[in-house]
Amino acid sequence: MVLITGASGGLGRAMAMECARRGYTLFLTDRDENGLRRIERGIALAHGAKVHTFACDLTNCGKVQALFQEIERVQEPIDMLLNIAGVDFEGGFLERDSARLMTIVRLNIEATLLVTHAALERRARDAAFTVVNVCSLASVCPMPLKATYAASKRFLLDFSIALGQELKHENVNVLALCPGGMPTTMEALSGIEAQGVWGRITSNSLGTIAKNTIDRALKGKRVYVPGLVNRALSALSRMVPPVLAARLVYHRWTQAQKKWLNT
Amino acid sequence: MKTAVITGATSGIGFATAKAFASLGWRVIGIGRDERSCERARQELQVLISGAQTEYFAADLIHQSEVVKAANKVSAYLCEACEGKLEVLVNNAGGVRSVYTTTAEGYEQQFALNLLAGVLFTHKLLDCLKAANGRVLFTGSNSHKHIRPRFDDIMLERRYHCLTAYKHTKLLGMLFAQAFNRRFEKEHIRAYVVDPGLVNTKIGMKQTGGLVRFVWELRRRGGCTPDLPAQTYVQLASAAPAPEGFYYYRCLERPYSRFAKDEQAAARVFSLCERYCGIRF
Repeated sequence: MVLITGASGGLGRAMAMECARRGYTLFLTDRDENGLRRIERGIALAHGAKVHTFACDLTNCGKVQALFQEIERVQEPIDMLLNIAGVDFEGGFLERDSARLMTIVRLNIEATLLVTHAALERRARDAAFTVVNVCSLASVCPMPLKATYAASKRFLLDFSIALGQELKHENVNVLALCPGGMPTTMEALSGIEAQGVWGRITSNSLGTIAKNTIDRALKGKRVYVPGLVNRALSALSRMVPPVLAARLVYHRWTQAQKKWLNT
Repeated sequence: MKTAVITGATSGIGFATAKAFASLGWRVIGIGRDERSCERARQELQVLISGAQTEYFAADLIHQSEVVKAANKVSAYLCEACEGKLEVLVNNAGGVRSVYTTTAEGYEQQFALNLLAGVLFTHKLLDCLKAANGRVLFTGSNSHKHIRPRFDDIMLERRYHCLTAYKHTKLLGMLFAQAFNRRFEKEHIRAYVVDPGLVNTKIGMKQTGGLVRFVWELRRRGGCTPDLPAQTYVQLASAAPAPEGFYYYRCLERPYSRFAKDEQAAARVFSLCERYCGIRF
């Protein structure tokens, strides 16, 4: 059975469909209960897969406990965990409400750690286990105007690589997925469009990402950066000193963000 | 008075078709995406055609729940005002998406709107169609000839291309209509597919991004006015006895792809559509 967080969102749905296509039983969670019901129906109709759902807010650790109690009730062992749930509030650090900024930390980092810990604790020791954490292309260097988000994704990237090494000999593989822009919502799509040609060549298709991610995670790959351009960018960013990278990113983002946030 | 239900009836081909039916004295029930565009279309029809009997219902047909809701409203209206009879259903609502995007059900959006919405709508109005020996018209596309059905990846999830996806939904629509005809031959309801040709509408500019929109802005200039293909819909709807053909362009039968004739593929698409909509005809 695969556990997918953030399963009502664009990427979550694509992952859920891909897993259903491969014959997995699914346990889907998201804050959006209506969205969960709809993807559950869509998957059941399209692939006849068995789907369990539980709506909860992962930033509430009481709810994370309730989630795993529900999973236990279902009595099917989890052998794959896709941590898709995540959030971003674009804009300058001081232009955002601090409570909202903390949500980025609560969901992207804390919730991911809580869920991963709980899932790993409960895994069957004799079976292979796969974890996929959604990092981002934004995790490769500091990103002004997305500072908190990018840093949270960098946290996940480092954590995923480290955890993967820790658990390498325990039949657990951890893959850090680092996509560029993804057209998950109309908003996200217009954000990509606002970046012009650059936006388009660094964005990834959800269907392709889902398929390739599962393929690679099962094969034991540790990091996946979809898209040739993104891979090149990611390699390049690692060669540039962080302070310089931040300056370049800031320059590019101020243009694009002004255009996008004003439309 | 005969009744026609038209989806995507607030602009483009749908609106022109609504206008054509209304001007011939048909009652027209139009479906549009939102209240505002529905109201605007209804008022415009009243102005253009005095005494027009029109009714519009708003529904975003990409969502199956809205298709069902709209169909129920239409059904109720038909029972009240038309003795429960529906002579013509025009499944015209359609769109293009420049990237792979999904509905909340996880279905690719062009697939959900261009194909499933029409199937589901037809299913919900079947009784009203049967009562009038009705006809179902689908908006097709000549581009269906440039593709074959991909059953291994029906929504093109794994390798999506916006135009391929569009052509694919149009081909699948034709296959559905073929199987529909075979299935309901004895019950005197019949489906046709209209090839409208290249028409100057805004289809390529709704919810699409940069390049797709840009290319369409140029391409549409070579297109005809939607009033032209509207004539084909009206002709197929009005002709007595029911026309013998399947695929029509400018009121005449037109040859279509052999992939759209394949009986087995048609049956497969038919049951696939039933499955994705959670229905049985």
